[in-house]
Amino acid sequence: MTQAPSERTRVHRHPERGDHDPATIHAVLDEALLCTVSWVDEHGAPRALPTIQARIDDTLYLHGSRGARAWKSAAAGTELCVVATVVDELVLARSQFSHSMNYRSVVLFGRTREVTDPEELYAGARAITGHVLPGRELDAREPDDDEWRETLLLAMPIDEASAKVRTGPPGDDERDLALDVWAGTVPVRTVVGPAAPAPDLRASIGVPAYVPSSGEELPRP
Amino acid sequence: MSDQAPTPRTRVRRLPELGVYDRERVNEIVDEAIYCHVAWVGDDGEPRVIPTIHTRLDDELYVHGSAASSTLRAIKTGLPVAIAITLVDGIRFARSMFEHSMNYRTVVVYGTAEEVTDRDELVSVFDAITDHVAPGRSADARPPTDAELKQTTFVKIALDEASAKVSDGFPEEPDDDLALDVWAGILPLRTVAGEPIPDPLLAERTSVPRYVSDYRRPGA
Repeated sequence: MTQAPSERTRVHRHPERGDHDPATIHAVLDEALLCTVSWVDEHGAPRALPTIQARIDDTLYLHGSRGARAWKSAAAGTELCVVATVVDELVLARSQFSHSMNYRSVVLFGRTREVTDPEELYAGARAITGHVLPGRELDAREPDDDEWRETLLLAMPIDEASAKVRTGPPGDDERDLALDVWAGTVPVRTVVGPAAPAPDLRASIGVPAYVPSSGEELPRP
Repeated sequence: MSDQAPTPRTRVRRLPELGVYDRERVNEIVDEAIYCHVAWVGDDGEPRVIPTIHTRLDDELYVHGSAASSTLRAIKTGLPVAIAITLVDGIRFARSMFEHSMNYRTVVVYGTAEEVTDRDELVSVFDAITDHVAPGRSADARPPTDAELKQTTFVKIALDEASAKVSDGFPEEPDDDLALDVWAGILPLRTVAGEPIPDPLLAERTSVPRYVSDYRRPGA
């Protein structure tokens, strides 16, 4: 079920890296801890804001304070462009020119709608909490009415999106292969450190099982 | 170490106590982050944003691309750009979903992009961006040829209008929630390098350099 690229989502540079398969797009949106939301402000200038996202099926959820201009403007129907990036490996070539990254990124265009349905609000809150660390959404206290009055939850359809993916070894020119320079890729990943309990945590409450041990990779949804 | 006066765009409005305008702090975040997200306004007036690799020399942020890239072709004409750079240092677990947050350091830069055309500057930027990927790498990797310089576009953006936002510490929760039977605290995060994977075409005798086997980000 590949999405046909729109004029904006067609990958022009390195078209062989373009991927419109929803499975690829969804995996990047799930795996990236954060995304950057961009929009055009009232002066016609670009703006960018890093934020946390979460996905349920074909919908991306974003949230923020009702007091923030960026979210008010998004809720009012301003067109957004969202990017999420996962860096898998550094690509060290023999030439400086051929240095690169093995990465997966998604660019998504569209507008958001403000979520008002209570069931969807709670599903969105759980998805965002579980996006940060799967399992946490079953443990943390859900928002109450006062907290919802301060929070905007926005839903964005994932229907105009494209992924760009680079994998594999460096692409050095043939003539550089004889150089006496190490070449290859260096995997990078996000690992957790030792969990630090809040100073006001009751001593009887232990670290939950869904929190990984120090040195382990951060689990993703 | 001069503080920059915030402009209307870089003044941190949400949680203003987190705003940092100190150039040194901005530089540290820019240097430690592997990539950035560059936003601009397309011909159609709508927003565009892409990930790319960057580097910094003094007070300029350099963004790299192919000369054929439509992004670089668009922004090198002096279009305004907004660049977001983000490092996540930890997850802040509160008892309530509402108070969950991240410990993070983020920089947003506003400016206009100028194409780098001076040959010496281009060569310096190639070194800098190679070292940005792996500190120490530029001394080993072959410098660009004239043809490669022609195929590459670098644009620079002055770090004049940049602000950092730094969030750190434990969750602060209302008294009612402190009684809940839910774990709260910080889970620190860091980016680490794994075992290097040699190019299948690599001659066997080539040893892994120190900056690869002991890889770390600047400042990390």
